Parts: sequence; structure tokens; C-alpha cells
Amino acid sequence: MSDETRMSSENQARVAQLVKRQFFKRRKSCPFSGPKAMKIDYKDVRLLSRFVSERGKIMPSRISSVSLKKQRELAQAIKRARFLALMPYVQK
Amino acid sequence: MRFYECVFVARQDITGAQVENMAKNYTNIIKNEGGQVGKIEFCGLRTLAYPIKKNKKGHYVLMNVTAKPEAVAEVERQMKLSEDILRYVTVKVESLDDNPSPLMQQRSFRDEKARSSYDDQDDVVENTNESPRSE
Repeated sequence: MSDETRMSSENQARVAQLVKRQFFKRRKSCPFSGPKAMKIDYKDVRLLSRFVSERGKIMPSRISSVSLKKQRELAQAIKRARFLALMPYVQK
Repeated sequence: MRFYECVFVARQDITGAQVENMAKNYTNIIKNEGGQVGKIEFCGLRTLAYPIKKNKKGHYVLMNVTAKPEAVAEVERQMKLSEDILRYVTVKVESLDDNPSPLMQQRSFRDEKARSSYDDQDDVVENTNESPRSE
């Protein structure tokens, strides 16, 4: 009886640990800051298209993990590219 | 003197020589005002991401300019008046880059999307979606 209860509590602890590990995600760092950062350029359509949804909308920074400062820069660059018809406003 | 990057898109119906003439014209304006023009990139006829004034393609030209704000204002005024220019953008930059810009290497947004290596699984779906659109 006492053996069983100890087992279950051990199991519970293990399960809790597993759950914890499952829900813990490493925070990805901003692709535009740090030593090997990319440069945001409104002419670089290939780079900008990675931060745009399939529909052509600008991706939220919580998904792309771009820092707030760089997100502002990125949004400006995407808007410039759109104005110059390098990128679409909407993609159907 | 400040650094500027000037990109303009010209109508599809004019020839490459005419585009070069336009660029030369703007260069002269800037030089008359005491400025300088660094590299000029003619990116050729590119497909526009969306039609502008019934044009599906456009000549893209990038100019690196070192000039006073008044000179740039004059060039922008000329571009606004020109019927051949669909779009123009002048951006003040910290420093000018003499290397060829990404505009020269890349084709268009759609082509890039289709064979982009960045979006991995979506690629297959993308391609199937893409084919009817291009027809």
C-alpha cells in the first residue's frame, strides 16, 4: 500500500516534469539583432517576403520574434516595397 | 550634403535608351545644384506586383545621390510632372552602398515565392495555387 502510493507520487512528479518540458519553449531571438544580423532593406524582396503572410500581410512580431524596434523598421520597409510594386498589397 | 537613395519606376512602353536619358537628365539637375550621383542601377523591365495605370511591367532605376535637399526636391518635382514615371521614392540614408542592390539579383515577388527555400512545407501548396494565377 505504502509502496504503491510512493510509486504514484513519483510518477506524478515525472509526468509534471514532462508536461513542464513540453510547454517550455526556447525564446527565439530577433533575426535582425545580434552579431550576424541581416540588414533590413526595402529593395530586398526575398528577405521581406519571409515576414509576410501568404495573403501578403505583415506578420506579427510575436510570431516572427522580431524585436519591437526592428519590427517598426521592417514594417516601414515592407510598405515602401509595396508602394514601388515590388511586393503586393494583397495576394489572393 | 546628405545621402539619398532614389528609386523610380518608368512606364513599360518606353525603351531602355529613353530610361537612361531620363536618369541622365536627373543626374544633370543634381550636378547643377552642386550634388553628386554615385552608382546608377538599371534593373531592367520587371514585373510589377500589381498593375499601375494599366502597366504590368516597369523599368526600375536606382540612383545613389549625394546632394542638398533643394536639389532632391527639384528632381522629385520633375518626376511628379513626368508622365513616364509611375512611382518614385527618395529615401535619406546614413551611408551609400556601392555594391549591387538586391533589386539587381532578384526577379519578382512571385517568382521568389514559388522557388523560395525559406517557406518549407508551404512550398508544394504554393506551387499548385500559383499555376492558375499565372495563366
